[in-house]
This record gives sequence, structure tokens and C-alpha cells, in this order.
Amino acid sequence: MRSCSLGILFALLAASPAWAAPNPRLVLPEFSTLAQKATESVTITLDAALLAMAGRFLDGNDPQDAATKEILKGLQGIYVRSYTFDRDSAYHQADIDAVRNQLSAPGWSRLVETRSRKSQANVDIYLMVSNNQATGLALIASEPRQLTIVNIVGAIDLDKLHKLEGQFGVPKFDIDSPKAPPPNTKK
Amino acid sequence: MSEELESRLRAAFRPVAPSDEFTQNLIARVAADQRSPSNARGVRERSPKASAWWLSASMAASLLVAAGIQQHVQERRERERGLEARREVIEALRVTSQKLNLAYEVIKSQSSSPADDAPGV
Repeated sequence: MRSCSLGILFALLAASPAWAAPNPRLVLPEFSTLAQKATESVTITLDAALLAMAGRFLDGNDPQDAATKEILKGLQGIYVRSYTFDRDSAYHQADIDAVRNQLSAPGWSRLVETRSRKSQANVDIYLMVSNNQATGLALIASEPRQLTIVNIVGAIDLDKLHKLEGQFGVPKFDIDSPKAPPPNTKK
Repeated sequence: MSEELESRLRAAFRPVAPSDEFTQNLIARVAADQRSPSNARGVRERSPKASAWWLSASMAASLLVAAGIQQHVQERRERERGLEARREVIEALRVTSQKLNLAYEVIKSQSSSPADDAPGV
């Protein structure tokens, strides 16, 4: 009886979210109202199987494909939601609160926070680090007429992202590699 | 002259009764054809074993063709899905890089006009 109770206790503890490893996969809302209002929307959902399939169709001899292939190594998912509107303030901050709330969970650290009064473009980049390895990246870019949310799950190597410079227009970031990030620096 | 030729022709083409052997062969052939209607049409009759073999062979060939077509369609679908996934990966990285570039531009503009933008790295 006692061993049975202990077993149940251990099972409950294992199932408890507090004991579970932080999940770098964000639960992205449907954004159906935003999609209806948007003049252009991009919805990309690529899980590990689809990434592996895409990798098979990348040509290793092509520089862009080779760089992409390098980045895909170790990734388990890429999720993008991007909406472009024909007028300012077509969306509210509340629309992205559901995503921001998830980024306040343990494990996530805000790596970059930019606020531009001139262009009114705000970009927040979050990183989840586990065992000195980046396991997730989240990006929220809110501009007057565009809202973009990116969630990349898996072993992200920022150096590999640097290699994309010139291929997709990725700039060189003077950001230190996330070997030892500060604990939850946001807010 | 013409009468002589005519008489020679008549002699050459006079009706002649067939031989008994020819008659018997002909009757036997007609009787055999009446027994087998397919033979009357000139079709060679196959044995049941041969028919079964042809049926099996044609079914196997049909199955092979169907399996080949299915595999071709499956490969084509997989290729289409793979190419679509590739396109989506490139699009996702393009969007990501675009937004990283936006953040970079704000960070870069910090040095030119610090009061304008408020980056935090």
C-alpha cells in the first residue's frame, strides 16, 4: 500500500509542470481575426518531420541551400505568423499578450529589446537556454502595419545564423554567444 | 480457229467428279467443325490450364502496373510536399532575417541618434 502511494506521488510529481523541462515551443494563437484584417499573411508551421523533408530537397552545392541546411541541423520546428495591414494600428498589444505571457515562463531570456520611436518598430528577441545550449528562439516584431512572431525550436546556433548574412539579408549581430545568459532579464 | 479453241477449252474445263478420298476428307472436316463452334470461327481453343495461366499473368501484370502507378504518384506527392517544405523553410528564414535586420537597424541607429531609439541588448 505504501509503495503504491509512493508510486502515485512520483507519477504526480513527474507530471507536474513545475518539474517538467521548459518547453521552447510556443502555443501560437489562431490569430483568425488578424488574418481576416490583414492584406497579407504568412503562416508557416514546420515540425521536425517537415524540416527533415525540406532538408532532403536542399542542394548542398548551392550556397544558400547549404547555409540553410546547416541551420536546419538540430532544429525541431519553425513557426512563423506574420500579418501585414493596409493601415496603422490594425492590431492591439492584447493580440500578442498570449504569446508574451508564455515568454515570461522560466527558461526564456530576453536577448534583445529594441524600441524605435522614429519607425515605431519594436523587436523583442527571446532565447531559451538549457545546459548552455540554445534550445529555442522567439521573436516578436511589432510595427505600425506589420506584426510578426517567429518561434524556432531546437539547437539554434547563432553563429550559423551569422552565416546567413548576405543570403537572406541577415545582419551580423554583435551579440555574445548565449553560453551563460543572465536569468530572465526581461521586464 | 475460234471453234477449235472453244472446244479445247470446254474439254479442259469439263466437270470432273471428285475422288472418294477428297469427299471423305471434306465430310470429316465439316463434321469436326460442327462439333467445335470456336474452330468454325478459326479460333484455336486453349486448354483450361493455359487459360488459367493467361488469367494469372494478366492479373499479375495489372497489379504490377497499378503498383507502379501508385508508387509514382506517391513519389510525386512526396516530392511536391518536400519542395513546399523547402519553400516554407526559406520563407521562414527570410522573414526571421528581415526582422533580425530590423532590430539590427535600430541598434545601429542608436549610435547616430541615441535619443531616438531605445535598444536593449
